[in-house]
Amino acid sequence: MYRYDEFDHQLVAERVEQFRGQVARRVAGEITEDAFKPLRLMNGVYLQLHAYMLRVAIPYGTLSSKQMRMLAHLAREYDRGYGHFTTRQNIQYNWPALDRIPDLLQELASVEMHAIQTSGNCIRNVTSDQYAGAIADEVEDPRIISEIIRQWSTFHPEFSYLPRKFKIAVTGHKNDRAAIKLHDIGIVIVKNAAGEIGYEVHVGGGQGRTPFIAKKMSDFVPAAQLLAYLEAVMRVYNMLGRRDNSYKARIKILVHETGEEEMRRLVEAEFAKIDASQMLTVPQEEIDRIAAYFAPPALQELPAASASLDAARASDTAFDHWVTTNVVSHVKPGYGIVNISLKPIGGIPGDASDAQMDVIADLAETYAQDEVRVTHEQNLVLPHVKLDDLKTVYDTLLAHGLATPNLGMISDTIACPGLDYCNLANARSIPLAQEISNRFADLDRQYDIGELKIKISGCINACGHHHVGHIGILGVDKKGTEFYQISLGGSADENASLGDITGRAFTEDDIVDAIENLVASYVDLRQGGERFIDTYRRVGMQPFKERLYAE
Amino acid sequence: MQSNRQLIKDGTLAENLWLYLEDDAALSDTASIVSLQRLEDEADTLRARNAPLGVILRAGEKQGEDVRRLAPFLDMIQLVAIEFPVYRNGRGFSSARILREELKFDGEIRATGEVLFDQWQPMARCGINAFEVDASISLDQFNQAMGEFSQAYQPASDARRGLLWQRHGK
Amino acid sequence: MAQHSAKGARFQAVTANRLTDGEVVYFTDAGHWSLSFSEAAIADGAEAAEALLAGAMPADFEAHVLDPYLFEVLQDAQTGYQPASVRETIRAKGPTIRLDLGKQAIAS
Repeated sequence: MYRYDEFDHQLVAERVEQFRGQVARRVAGEITEDAFKPLRLMNGVYLQLHAYMLRVAIPYGTLSSKQMRMLAHLAREYDRGYGHFTTRQNIQYNWPALDRIPDLLQELASVEMHAIQTSGNCIRNVTSDQYAGAIADEVEDPRIISEIIRQWSTFHPEFSYLPRKFKIAVTGHKNDRAAIKLHDIGIVIVKNAAGEIGYEVHVGGGQGRTPFIAKKMSDFVPAAQLLAYLEAVMRVYNMLGRRDNSYKARIKILVHETGEEEMRRLVEAEFAKIDASQMLTVPQEEIDRIAAYFAPPALQELPAASASLDAARASDTAFDHWVTTNVVSHVKPGYGIVNISLKPIGGIPGDASDAQMDVIADLAETYAQDEVRVTHEQNLVLPHVKLDDLKTVYDTLLAHGLATPNLGMISDTIACPGLDYCNLANARSIPLAQEISNRFADLDRQYDIGELKIKISGCINACGHHHVGHIGILGVDKKGTEFYQISLGGSADENASLGDITGRAFTEDDIVDAIENLVASYVDLRQGGERFIDTYRRVGMQPFKERLYAE
Repeated sequence: MQSNRQLIKDGTLAENLWLYLEDDAALSDTASIVSLQRLEDEADTLRARNAPLGVILRAGEKQGEDVRRLAPFLDMIQLVAIEFPVYRNGRGFSSARILREELKFDGEIRATGEVLFDQWQPMARCGINAFEVDASISLDQFNQAMGEFSQAYQPASDARRGLLWQRHGK
Repeated sequence: MAQHSAKGARFQAVTANRLTDGEVVYFTDAGHWSLSFSEAAIADGAEAAEALLAGAMPADFEAHVLDPYLFEVLQDAQTGYQPASVRETIRAKGPTIRLDLGKQAIAS
């Protein structure tokens, strides 16, 4: 993992002091809320329905056990004993008092973490693949370039007041777990014919009111030139992006209105100038310095199979199911990647208590090379666990409600906080996720249904990724009452697609029956080993729709 | 410049010697800041005039004026004022960098409009060297804001190289 | 923000969030901010509502609360006044998914 040097420490400390001064000026009445609001937002402090909310950055979703313990401590001391892991690999605290946030941030800084640029119209936390450095067939660990991007984008003097927020995601693997095509910039690490590493850059993806799949701007940008290329994209956007209408201000609208070809021409022209100046050419020594922090951990040479694991699976069916669904093959024989579901049946997606966070930190320290990852699907990962240790890890997780064997299943739902917390929401999201989870609680039934990604947003801003759910649900408000609109066929992976709306919206009382109806249609229509999304892509909307709205 | 404003230039309080000139106002021998449109329309007249000339880049409704339109006139202007209509509109940060780094403009770049305390330092990093700030701001407060961050990760228009380079003496 | 509109409403109250901790507060007949909806002043008619909001926003209101606004309440024979929208009901009580949190937790 990356470790701060003295400069990184100093900058974060200076930011804490800057924010402390801003809060003091506000509380003392020296500045108005109008003047303070942009300042607190630049540091991840929102006002939600019941209290302030603080969003803490978890760069590319990687945490050490020490950092995880700090997150638990902050939940206990400054919040109400829990935190919420988000689709941007961050954590949110729902109840911190404004005048204590500077102290909270100071504690956070002691473990090399911060809330810098977790809000505001700037470059947000860089997100990546939760299996980075642990999965086979990776071109390069995506955290190396993600860390370089994190540093370059932190307090960028030119790009801190963009037309709108800006999100960058990176994957180093052909299977995209970072939803890179739904980001303002999505980066795929590739190798060219000469065996050199470079970056395929996609621009203009996003969800929200007007969803778009990103367009490929460049097939190959060499490593040393990536920052120059990114700066070129950012400058074109900052100069030409719309500032007259916040709903049309994201780069996806600029790409759409300008056209892919013209956008590419503009970016290339800007890139040529910046590149010629050499000022953003990253020194190889610095790439090497940062890469060294992400060197593979010292794992043991082990046989590919574990006799103790096989025995435990044979004697414990629940454990066997958990290994099948939640453990993924590791690049190193004898190891596995453990997914910790934060979607207990009937639970709140993404929430973890302080006690749970402490338990996970302990497990990471003892069994997983001191690392935890956060996934954009609101789960956690222990990236390097010996197969021999899986049963012990499982037993501990089970004792703390963290061993639900439902990864990728219908109850592994993404849901935004919705109207239970959020100031922007039109409808609640979490209760729907809970009802769906309870309705399909039976695990055998979930396994029969197979991979089915339900994603729920409480408003058109799409924080719950409903556009890219195999089944997407969007909450809408009709005169103070909640309604839910369904879309089908979305996907956030390397074959990204946007869902199609089925038709009229459902009431809170009808929506779970509607989901049940869609699942029944799929079970009737599926052929061979088709997943829900495969069946939908084969047969289209009509058969689903007919049955959904049948009288 | 508005009467409730003062000018801080190159880190010190400075007297404002410039007049913002409306498009229909007569030219005089006073140092004058004209609109981009007027600069383009009356370039010959302005070139023949014997007094300092500046130009203001307006922020516009949908999109601000394009700084690159200044390219043919750089030899005749000594000042470029960049309008920041609201703190959220950060387009001028790019305009300033393009002026300094691509167009190699070495005259005064002045920020005018709504600029927040914490924006002065990044503006300076982008090449802005003069600020029209509220008259209630002391030079001490200004300098404190300019020193909020002692390091920078990335290069811009100022002398800071950026930590990604600095760590290796580059 | 969704569900703010109180146009055409007969009964309205004024709510805001407290500056220091963001707690939901209601403007009372006594001219203070209360943590409890049950103490909220209820305005009958548009004119009374505007007057109530104006009273809640003296020159120095920002020293105490953020963004006061009017919202619709309904009169109920059994329970007295209740917020009309789901949003304001949730603000008055707490998250519907965590009955141990928010004002509902203190009430029970």
